[in-house]
Formats: sequence, structure tokens, C-alpha cells
Amino acid sequence: MKRSPFVRLFNRPLTSMEKMLLGIIILYIAIVTIKSPQFFSLSTFFDLFRSGSGFLILALGALIVFISGGIDVSFAAIAIVSGYSSVLLSIALEIDNLLFIVFVSIVIGVLLGSINALLIYFYNLPTLIVTLGTASVFHGAMAILLGMKTFTRTDVPKSMLDFGSAQLFSFEVDGARVGLTVMAPVVVAVIVITWFLLYRTRIGRSVFAVGSNAESASRIGMSILFTRLFVYTYVGGLSGLVGIIYFSNLAYINPAAFVGTELPVIAAVVIGGTKLSGGEGTIFGTILGVLLWQLFQNTLIRLGFTASFNDLFFGAALVAILGFIYYRQRQANKRALVFSTN
Amino acid sequence: MINTVRKMLGRDREFMVLVATTLVVTAILYVLLGDRLFSLGGVQSMSIQVSEFGFLALAMGLAILTGGIDLSIVAAAGLAGVMASLVMSGLIIPVTDDNQGMLFVLGIVVALVTGLITGLLNGIIIAKLSVPPILATLGTGILFQGIGMALTSGNSVSIKVVAFSQIATLAIGPAPLVFVLLAITFVIVGFILKKTRFGRRVYLFGENEVALRFSGDRSERTIILTYALIGLLVGLAAIVIIARANSMRVGFGQSYLLQAILVVVLAGFNPFGGRGRIISLAFALVLLQVLSTSMTAFEVSPYAKNLVWGGMLLLVMALIHFVRKGRKVGAKPQDFSGGTTPPTGSFPALRSARVKTSSMGVRS
Repeated sequence: MKRSPFVRLFNRPLTSMEKMLLGIIILYIAIVTIKSPQFFSLSTFFDLFRSGSGFLILALGALIVFISGGIDVSFAAIAIVSGYSSVLLSIALEIDNLLFIVFVSIVIGVLLGSINALLIYFYNLPTLIVTLGTASVFHGAMAILLGMKTFTRTDVPKSMLDFGSAQLFSFEVDGARVGLTVMAPVVVAVIVITWFLLYRTRIGRSVFAVGSNAESASRIGMSILFTRLFVYTYVGGLSGLVGIIYFSNLAYINPAAFVGTELPVIAAVVIGGTKLSGGEGTIFGTILGVLLWQLFQNTLIRLGFTASFNDLFFGAALVAILGFIYYRQRQANKRALVFSTN
Repeated sequence: MINTVRKMLGRDREFMVLVATTLVVTAILYVLLGDRLFSLGGVQSMSIQVSEFGFLALAMGLAILTGGIDLSIVAAAGLAGVMASLVMSGLIIPVTDDNQGMLFVLGIVVALVTGLITGLLNGIIIAKLSVPPILATLGTGILFQGIGMALTSGNSVSIKVVAFSQIATLAIGPAPLVFVLLAITFVIVGFILKKTRFGRRVYLFGENEVALRFSGDRSERTIILTYALIGLLVGLAAIVIIARANSMRVGFGQSYLLQAILVVVLAGFNPFGGRGRIISLAFALVLLQVLSTSMTAFEVSPYAKNLVWGGMLLLVMALIHFVRKGRKVGAKPQDFSGGTTPPTGSFPALRSARVKTSSMGVRS
């Protein structure tokens, strides 16, 4: 029997949500291409990679939290706090080394993430409210301790500027240079690592198990504390990485930026078919969700809409897809006589 | 008389703690700031500020009572404000001397109706499609903001109806009109929750949605009505906001979301639903406003303010956690799938099972 490459690679067929999203995205791309043919090119593809890299990494972090049965809204704050402190440290110590900056940022992200994990584990509270609180504590503490000074291009460490503009390879197309950013392999690496951790390790299994039923997971001897620590430190570490990617990409460091990005990221993960109740969610679906968001962000202008329409279209798509997913589950629950909404 | 007061307070220890905290904090700040804060003018301006935010806090409180949460209130208030401002800006209907009164009324109606529609939409999505409230309101929040953005392109819309800003400045005796309005709304909502069948259903739904459905109640209608009420409150908040600023811009008041959740948690509402009193909410609101105004008097930066709000949120939740753990009363059966963990201990699963049964037994 002939099997599609996706099945061969991941050993599973596409979920219906993924099929639907894929359909929507292909349809949308077709419409945009008909409207403005120059859209369908390698340079657009590279641009999407460039602008979406940080967003996608954050979405993978949010996905893991969702699978573990929680919801995290502090990762944007963690990204800014760890990225900004790390840059300040490298300027103060005059160590202009990208590895050093990234390492420090990831370490700070991991520490902040573990604070989240411990609070959630010990106080037994809704993760949304806890992370909402820690997000403003982290950001406020940074503003008080480190100040809110912005850095323009001349002050940004040179290694970060190089990282932001470096390209894996580039070539001429119609007189314009097109290149793939070095963020691309980073993103691919994060995807592969996340996939491996989730599907090929014990800790990944326990993330799924704790997400679908914490009680059962703890009865078969999985440590809930350890699982939560893993989940939130992993998200923290990814956020630390994104902080540096974001600043490098912009070549401008503004500690007030980026706040509020968490909602679109969560929305993109949810569109990918991830369930709030935990234990369910796929990496491919998340990638598709992020792609849809990126397409709306970057291409609505080609259909004749200004940037002010981005939220309208994305919000409408999000509400429609949410309604579709959960209405189907509601029907299934009715048939199976499941009454609890959890 | 004293006995009844004592009986009333003794029944709800968290409420007593809250009232005591409010009084102590206010007293300390009075000593520190004196007339700067507590002159007649100072109190009046505080009560105007609290009105803007109070409606949103009440809306969030209702959502949390049902075991949900409403992340769209700020965006919905923004949309209602934008719609009302557009009506009164002269961009759609030119403002002349004759139609000012008509536009004034129309503006208020548009704000309320827009709020009501946003609430109904949330309610229908949550009740009829079974979308979890967090996700439903996350989506509609982005949608409402998107509609506001598309209508205004992010520009501020200013109001040309002269009399409208008087809503914020008019006073009944010493009390500002908007504050009286807020107080009346609190009393009405408190009455609805406490004395009507609908109110009991709201609590029941937050407590045990499945049990409510099995008792033959139309629980879906309760949810739709609750979110419709939230929408009306959001519309009222929008009216106060645009009356104070005399204009509206999408994205206004983003920090209110955190503060609204903080106030509700501070008031001792159970974040999993089913528990919370409107009178506590009123006290928590006063406490928060007094703190906020004194921080402004001390010239605390907005970021530091946010730090204080976030820190308070975590601290209060930790305190309530320990108070409830100590008493083992009113501890809600654990909602594992909602991202929480069972209590720690050598046999976490067994212990949580025990907590579950004991709390079910003690609940009244």
C-alpha cells in the first residue's frame, strides 16, 4: 500500500483539523496568488521564515504547556526580560559573543520558567491567573532593577547585528538579492528537538499523561512536579532564545516591545487543533496555525486591505475554527453520553 | 445590632480579612498622605476613576463566578466606546445644535447595545458550541479589537457632542454621577445574584455544571444570560470611559484586564467558580483604588505599578490557598484537566481523593 510521506515520517495520518487548516491555507495562497502573482515566490517564502521564526518557537513552547494541561501567558514577558538582561550584561562585561548572550538569556528564561512551575505546582491554581501575575512581576521587576533604556543600532552588540542580518545562502532573482536567514536552521532545530522530546522520550510521555489526567499519571508513578518543571523551564528557555532572536532581527532593543504578543501565539496554537483540556495537540498543527497567522499578517495587504484589518480577519477565523472544533466535540460527547466538559 | 454584624462577619473570615486590610491600608495611607489623598476633591476624583474600572471588575467577577473567565472585556469595552464615539463624532451624522440631544441618547444606546451584542456572542459561543470560556473570549477579544481597528485604523475618535463629557463631571450632592451609577449597579447585580433564581443558577453552574444540567435546568440559557449581563456592564464601562476621555482609541486600558482579575481574586472569589460575594468585590475595588491613587501620589512608574499588581495577585492567591487548606472547607474538588496539580504528599493521589470527598460533604 502506498503511504504518504507524512505518514511515513511521523507514523500517523493527518488529523482532521490539520487537513482543514491545510485546505484553508492552500485556498488562501491560491486566492492571493491569483490577485497578485508575484506573491508566489521564493522571496515571500524566505520572508515568512524570517518574520515568523520567533513566533513559531514561542508557539512550540505554548503547545507543550497546552499539552501538559495548562495555559501560559508569561512567555512574551520572559522573552523580553531574559533577552534584555542578557544584552545589558554583555554590554556591561564587554563580551560581544553571540553564544554567551544566547546562553545567558536561555539560563535566565529557564530560571523564570521554574518560578512559574513551582508556583503552579504548589498553589494549585489556574495557570492562566498565575502566569498573568508572574508576567507583570517579571516585567515590572526588570523595569525597576534594570531600567527601560532603549538601544539603537549603534549600541547593539555587533555579534547580534551579524546574527540578525546573516544569511545561510543568497542569490539574485530579478536583480534583487534573496536569502534564507540563519534563523531557519535554528527554527528547524527547535522543531526537531521539541518533536523528539515529546514523542521519543519518557518525559514527553509524562507531559501527555499529566495533561490528559494528572491523577492517573501520578498513580502510575509519574512525578507531576518534575513534569511541570520540565514544561515551564523548557518554555522559559525557548522564550530566552526568542528574546535574542527578536532583538537581533530588529537591530533595535526596546524593553517595552513584544508585550501582548502572547495572545496571538496562543491563538495560533489553538487554531492548530490543540485542546485546552490537555493531552492533545500536534506540532504540525501548530506550524500550520502559525503559518496562517503569518499569512494574514503579511499578505492581506496584497488583497487590498490595510494592516488595520489583520486582527479582524484573524479573530474571525479563530472564532469560526474554535466553534467548529468544539461543536464537533460536543456532538461526539452527546453521542458517547459524556457530560463533563473536561 | 453589633451581634448581627459579628455574626455576619464571623461567617465569612475572608471577607473580614479583606475589610480589615482595606481599613488598615487606608488608615496608613491617610497618615502618610493626609489631605493630599483624602480631601473632598481627592475622594471625588478617586470615585470617578473607580467607576471606569468598577464595571469591568464586576463583569469579570460574574464570568469567574460561573467558572469561566472573560478575556474580551477590555476589547469589548473598546469596541463599544469606538462605536459610540463614531456616532457622536460627526463623522457619520453631522453634529448640529438641534440634534445634540438626540445623538447624546443615541451614543449611550449604541454603547449599551454594542456591549450587549459582544456579551451575547460570547455567551452563545460558550453555551451553544461548548467552546471553553478562556478560548472563546480570547478569540472574540481579538475579533472585537480587529473590528475596532478596521473601523478607526487605530486613530483616536473624538466626541463632538458637547454635553457628553458632563456625564463624568456631574455630581449628585458630593457624589459624582458615575459613582452613584456604579453603586446602584453593584446593588442591582448583588440583588440578582443573591435573591433571584437566575442568581442561584449562576453560582450552581460555577459549582457543578453537570449537576445543574441533570437537575433539569436550562444551564445554557443561564450562561448566555450571564454573558449578556457582562456585555451590558462592559457597555456601561465604555460610556464612562469615553465620557472621561471625550474620545476613544482602540487598545485603551489594556492593563485593566490584569487589574480586573486581581480585584476579583482579592475579593475571595474562587477562581474555579461558584464562590464569591459582590460586597467583597466592592471592598476589594476600594482597596485597589486607594492603593492605585496613592502610588500615583508617590510618583510610582506604571511598570512598578504593574509589578505591585502582579505581586499582589500571586500573594493573595497564596494566602487564600493557605487559609482554605487550613480549614478544608470550600476547597473545590480539583480540576485536574484545568492545569492544576494534586496536593503534595507521599501519596498525592490518595490525599487529593480525600480532600475531594471531604469538601463535597462539608459544602452547604
